[in-house]
Amino acid sequence: MGTLAAAQPLLIGLLLLWSSYGKFADPQQADRTALPRLVGDSRAKPVYQAVAVVEALIALALLLPPSWAIEAFAAVALSAGFTGFLVYSKVVVPEASCGCAGKSAKPVGNRAIARALLLLATAGLATTASTGWWSAGAGVLVLVVEAVAFAMLSAELDRYWLLPLRRFRIRLSHPYAGTASDDTPLVATQRRVLLSPAYRAVDGLLRSDIHDYWDDEDWRFVSYAARYDGRRATAVFAVPHQDSTPAAIRVAVVDEEGLTLYRPTMLATTG
Amino acid sequence: MAGITAEASWFCCGNAWGPCGSAGHGACGTCNSGSMQHAWPNTSDACYAITRPDSCGITGMSRRTCGFRHATTSLCTGKRIVTSIADCGPQTDLFCGERSCCGGNCASNRVIDFTPAAFSALGLSLSSGLSPVSIDVA
Amino acid sequence: MTSTMDRRSLLSRAALGATGLVAATAMGSLAPETAFAATQQFADAGQPDPNFAEGLIMGRNQDLLQVQGSDGRLHRIQLTGVTSVWKLRPTTIDQARIGDGLYARGVLLPDGILAAEAIWVNIVNLTVAITAIGRNGVQLDHHGQKVVGHVQSGTTAAVYNGTPAVSDLSMLKVGRHAQVIGAWRPGTNEIDIATIYTSN
Repeated sequence: MGTLAAAQPLLIGLLLLWSSYGKFADPQQADRTALPRLVGDSRAKPVYQAVAVVEALIALALLLPPSWAIEAFAAVALSAGFTGFLVYSKVVVPEASCGCAGKSAKPVGNRAIARALLLLATAGLATTASTGWWSAGAGVLVLVVEAVAFAMLSAELDRYWLLPLRRFRIRLSHPYAGTASDDTPLVATQRRVLLSPAYRAVDGLLRSDIHDYWDDEDWRFVSYAARYDGRRATAVFAVPHQDSTPAAIRVAVVDEEGLTLYRPTMLATTG
Repeated sequence: MAGITAEASWFCCGNAWGPCGSAGHGACGTCNSGSMQHAWPNTSDACYAITRPDSCGITGMSRRTCGFRHATTSLCTGKRIVTSIADCGPQTDLFCGERSCCGGNCASNRVIDFTPAAFSALGLSLSSGLSPVSIDVA
Repeated sequence: MTSTMDRRSLLSRAALGATGLVAATAMGSLAPETAFAATQQFADAGQPDPNFAEGLIMGRNQDLLQVQGSDGRLHRIQLTGVTSVWKLRPTTIDQARIGDGLYARGVLLPDGILAAEAIWVNIVNLTVAITAIGRNGVQLDHHGQKVVGHVQSGTTAAVYNGTPAVSDLSMLKVGRHAQVIGAWRPGTNEIDIATIYTSN
């Protein structure tokens, strides 16, 4: 137990250095945390940077000889402060990000609070140490396990291990491997209609979004509510399944009684 | 600045229903889905640092602040609307080089995001989501 | 239902040019451009557009919807047979239910009722990152909020690098950014995906 406790300052020191570096590298992150709410907009950034300085000082004190008990107590106070701040964030400003150790827009979640509690626990353990970490011997090996636990609780690090792991799993077997089909999605038809000369010929008449759509043999039909000469009408597009050229799309404007009022392609051919 | 041609999309704001519930009233504090407004990628230094249009090769993107008016013409329907800046966006850098077309008109890069009221006022369908537009000072 | 089929059949024939064109003389009097010039005026920049409504459906009396706007406005929205309704896909007016969110565009009548020309029910347009893909859906990170996107066979389509939409979702990748047009499931952080725009 003694060597285990003695080893903790090494891990805590490195973690605080990482977290301090993250705050120095991008002080703008302060705006995304709950600090503006807690201390005011103008003081958020200076307070954020001040926390980074305190983190760095405690980290260096823990890492460098001599080993004083006060260092571990300072780490306990700091991590208790972090935990309290994160709980405050989650409750009072749920959309605020943690601003802990780097760029992350994620709001404070249970993982961030668990990580702060783990830091608090390791700092608590460190207060019982009687020697410096450099005399801890085999106790340092346990830190590897703890470091892995910290990494898994750090959303900032997900992209280095969690996302690649998921990507690898999907390469083995993609959940949507069988979704390809010959059916044309409606959105593809909609885009083809927008690109067509037929659409440009009637777009000023259209009053609605797609009202109805149906397939009939080689064609897909898409209808819109329209107004023509002050009257209610329907604009109907015929989109061929096979021919993908924009000019192959036809359109007609039909009134309520079913009379065809306007058909631009016919207009073109009859002059 | 001469008119620029770009892709437009839409976004919701103003503590409305669904995932919009946490969106709030945007960077300007005035944004509402039902008002004639838009988001602009260069409303402040902090905004520009997020949207980064320069990473798509768009230079000279003017700094325009909350309330500034732009006139936008849809290259799809020909309709023209005037809207004012109410938020920072879109995230231009995520969609560099993306193109959308309508008739013979195409545009690349997302430079403007409209409220649903404004996007549909251009005669555009919210369900298609992307459209080429031409943007000018109102 | 028969009338829908008859109407479709008639419209199909009209679009394919199998019906005669009436009122040829009227055509000269009304090129689409002139009709277009007569379109309505829109609200001032920054102001609410009276011909547009946004909000949650609080009540429904036949085809009249009571909608509570997020800006505090109350809307009465009249749906008709020619109103286009989008709810994950183009659908019919009976699909607009209490508890749904909507956007509506139409014409504000003098009695304060918005005669809807188009409504989009529960529609969302999200810029997200894909954080996981599973059989139960696609996990999406929307500015730090978790959103679950469900795939609906026959409807969900993907657009990769701006190429035409396809039903093949096997090129979705974890870690990629995407834009998702979908339909929110009321009361949840889940959506059904209509179209996902991403890179492959």
